[in-house]
Amino acid sequence: MLSKFASLACACALFSTAYAPAALASAASSIRISHPYVTAVAPGQTNSAAFLVLKNTSAHDHALVSASSPAAEIVQLHTHLHVNGMMEMRQVKQIPIKAHSKTMLKHGGFHIMLIHLRKPLKPGEQVPLTLTFEDGSHQKISAPVVKLSDTLKSMPMKMDRHH
Amino acid sequence: MKITRWISAALAVILLIAGGFYWLSMNHPSPNSAGAPQGGDFTLQSADGPRSLHDFRGKVVLLYFGYTFCPDICPTTLTLIGQALSSLSPAQQAQIQGIFVTVDPARDTAQKMKAYVRYFYPGLIGLTGNPQEIAAVARRYGVVYRKHKEKSGGYLIDHSAFIYLIGRHGKLRRTLPHGAPAAAIAAALRQLLQQP
Repeated sequence: MLSKFASLACACALFSTAYAPAALASAASSIRISHPYVTAVAPGQTNSAAFLVLKNTSAHDHALVSASSPAAEIVQLHTHLHVNGMMEMRQVKQIPIKAHSKTMLKHGGFHIMLIHLRKPLKPGEQVPLTLTFEDGSHQKISAPVVKLSDTLKSMPMKMDRHH
Repeated sequence: MKITRWISAALAVILLIAGGFYWLSMNHPSPNSAGAPQGGDFTLQSADGPRSLHDFRGKVVLLYFGYTFCPDICPTTLTLIGQALSSLSPAQQAQIQGIFVTVDPARDTAQKMKAYVRYFYPGLIGLTGNPQEIAAVARRYGVVYRKHKEKSGGYLIDHSAFIYLIGRHGKLRRTLPHGAPAAAIAAALRQLLQQP
């Protein structure tokens, strides 16, 4: 009776281990984050944005669903839309990262918006960011604060040639 | 009899008002409107007193609209403008005036604008005004903007993001698209400088 109970407990334990998200490849362990940075702000500018590259090394689609940082009161995922000549910035529920592909968070496109900065961001500082994925797994990274002019030299922004 | 007269009078008034709104909506410059913006003179407030476009007659003026809460688009464009101006010779720089006009006058004071624009290029001027004045200038240049309320309680402003280049005589000469690289902005400025 006891052994039966023990084996049942064992089976339960095995079962739960096998199906716990930690035992499967979590989204966080499948996503490689590179080139993170946050733009330094001009005097009086209380918002900034974080940019980075998300690479999905797995065969499953994943998504970034939220981000947090002690540097700002509110952190949201945003995108830019170019609608009838108007630049619109909109919050998005998630940023998809397709299987075996890269999603770039860049100027004029997807970005992590830092709203109401707790203090002005100066070049050389580091901003801690926690990125949470669709399965609840997360990655903590540190993004350097860089001058916008330095980032624009190396990374051309999205061009819109409507006119 | 009296009632029907009243009703028809009321109807006429309603029709007139509706017609008025329709006319206004038809004449409201939309982002799609084919007509090119006319540009023209304006006077707004800087931290150092009022500034008018005609104060800069004889210079080429680069005009851009945005707001200081703007987290990406405006700082990016202002950085590109700063890079373009810095790439020109001091003699060329002396003949150009860069102006940043806020579309968020409720939050952007003249002092705030001054500190903000100087970060991108020391010679830039930041202008603000009352909402009616800003709307009038924006209309003249074909700038469209509208508030977008955020769930967090704050607001962002959707806005068109063209760079306007005005010739030495105060006429709008060129419109550069959002995302124009610094080299393209510099080339357009050089070209305008060559014109009398």
